[in-house]
Amino acid sequence: MADPDTKSGLGGRVSAVLTQDRRRIAYAALAAVLLFALGALVRPGFASPGSVSAVLVVASFVGLVAAGQMFVVLIGGIDLSVPWVLNAAAILMVTSSLGQDGRAAYALVLTLGMGLGVGALSGVGVALFNVPAVVMTLAMNGIMQGLTLGLSGGMTCGSCASYAPPVVRAAVHASLLGVPAALWLWVAVAAAVSAVLSLTGFGRRTYAIGTSARASYLSGINVSAVTVALYALSGLFSALAGVMLVGFGGQAALGMGDPYLFQSIAAVVIGGVAILGGRGHYVGVAAGTISLVTLVSVLMALNMPEYGRSIIYGVIILALLLLYGREAGET
Amino acid sequence: MPPDAPPVRARRPRLAHALAQNLGFVLAAAMLASSLAIYCGVFYGAQGTLPGEFELTSAVNNTMPLVLAAVAQTLVVLTRGIDLSVGGVLDLTNAVAAVSLGDTVAGMVGGSLLVLLIGAACGLLNGVLVAYGRLQPILVTLATLSIFQGLAIRVLPQPGGQVPEGYTAALANPSGPASLAYVALLALLWWGLRRTRLGVGLYAIGNDEGAAAANGIDPRRTKLLTYMLAGTCSAMAGLFLAANATAGDATTGNGYTLASIVAVVLGGVSLFGGRGSAVGAIMGAFVTTMIVNILFFAHIDPLYQSFYEGLFLVAAVLLASLIGRLLRRR
Repeated sequence: MADPDTKSGLGGRVSAVLTQDRRRIAYAALAAVLLFALGALVRPGFASPGSVSAVLVVASFVGLVAAGQMFVVLIGGIDLSVPWVLNAAAILMVTSSLGQDGRAAYALVLTLGMGLGVGALSGVGVALFNVPAVVMTLAMNGIMQGLTLGLSGGMTCGSCASYAPPVVRAAVHASLLGVPAALWLWVAVAAAVSAVLSLTGFGRRTYAIGTSARASYLSGINVSAVTVALYALSGLFSALAGVMLVGFGGQAALGMGDPYLFQSIAAVVIGGVAILGGRGHYVGVAAGTISLVTLVSVLMALNMPEYGRSIIYGVIILALLLLYGREAGET
Repeated sequence: MPPDAPPVRARRPRLAHALAQNLGFVLAAAMLASSLAIYCGVFYGAQGTLPGEFELTSAVNNTMPLVLAAVAQTLVVLTRGIDLSVGGVLDLTNAVAAVSLGDTVAGMVGGSLLVLLIGAACGLLNGVLVAYGRLQPILVTLATLSIFQGLAIRVLPQPGGQVPEGYTAALANPSGPASLAYVALLALLWWGLRRTRLGVGLYAIGNDEGAAAANGIDPRRTKLLTYMLAGTCSAMAGLFLAANATAGDATTGNGYTLASIVAVVLGGVSLFGGRGSAVGAIMGAFVTTMIVNILFFAHIDPLYQSFYEGLFLVAAVLLASLIGRLLRRR
């Protein structure tokens, strides 16, 4: 068998030091740094601490959703229900808390529980009833959209205009040691997700299922249970992002979850997670998220019109895919 | 994804065998028949009369873009891919149609050809990246979706432009269900395609790419042509959309990506490739239109519409797999 790296030229010699996984993470991190440098060139002050921290806070919301998305992509699945689980969570947070601090804890538990439950339901459909993940989560997205619109009367309900409880808003906007709370949360989530995936049996089972569901099943792994748990986690992270967003912006809005589907999938892929499952790390996804959000910020700093941003966004994702998203060539 | 025992190859009665082989198609036909019946029922309940020519005309004209988008999606799904850029191609071609269709017959034909060429070029881009770039279809088309949407807004920043009356009369005639002829033509073309080298090849690579290659089918060439054909179908959908709306909008196509996947799934096309038919997907497209109509005439709050659509999608897929399992057990 030929060396798989001979085709990619230079890669061959470096691969001894950098495994394929590490190389992908390095690419994503390098892209983020280069983008900040580029931003500083076109707009002085872009790389100032304040500006960097603002970009990172925006990235943290995408990063939370991407964490959930990565869990399901690791077993070869996908979660298309992100937009309306996130949106439903944001609206449930304000309508159940009514903007009162006293109800904040109750609302938080209710909202995160909703995300967990909806995700688990998708997982049950995928794992126990063999519904393809694309269909199940697509349908779940529709179900959540209909429920959210219907129950809130299209955001005309009395409590829909409520603000997030002040205590939640203060928590999201607080900062510790000069670093915003949203970033602390993201760092904690990143550490927890990485630890779960790399150090626990659950993490090893996740990678095993992503590599081969059949072999995992035959070696005694409860594939269905792990699958349900992973989809539940994805729902939980979407809901958490919804809570953070509503805490950050104050109010909920219809359609606020829409951009997060595309961005979470793109971040997961740019971060070097194989879309067919089995390989990838959250460090890479976090780096991918930061480069993606930085790219958007740089394009906005360039006063690029919307259509141009959309085109360049697609072209850059294609370029990154061609750089390292290729399947091993046979034939 | 969960492990399933390989199907046991035992002898079965011929009818049961034929049913099991074409289960998706049969179920799609049954779904279409029952949704039509329910639609007639609720329509009669609401209006005191059965739906007539006007209802048929508007249903066909409104569904034509989805029919074509579903055919495009079927082509790609049969090769074990998925095309998320369908909506982007619709956006782009719809926008181009709105600014390029001339008032003369020659202008209309020329404009339409330009639009179809653009669709084929979009498909070419997807196909090259998937077949020769060895990238995952879902990722390629997610990225190209963004590109096509951007180009569409560049072409037509605000909804507008205009479609000549004659063009609307030809593609989406509002005074009679003439567009049914296009549906029949599509079914006929599909019947023909199934018998060409490309048609056989795309089913073959969807079932087993290695085996197909070993039997003299060039998977890359087949995929490239499939994506180009799919792009052309999406462009036709853009033309029908423009004809029906008599104007262009660079964002109306967005919903068609997901709608086409729903139609394909309802039509019994397997998302794992190699199984299904565009005729099934066309029926699936009409089922989705019927569901919207049923919800409307049953006076269900339109805000809940996507809730029922999602519920129906899951129920349909569960039902199909349940019946499939029962048939296989016998």
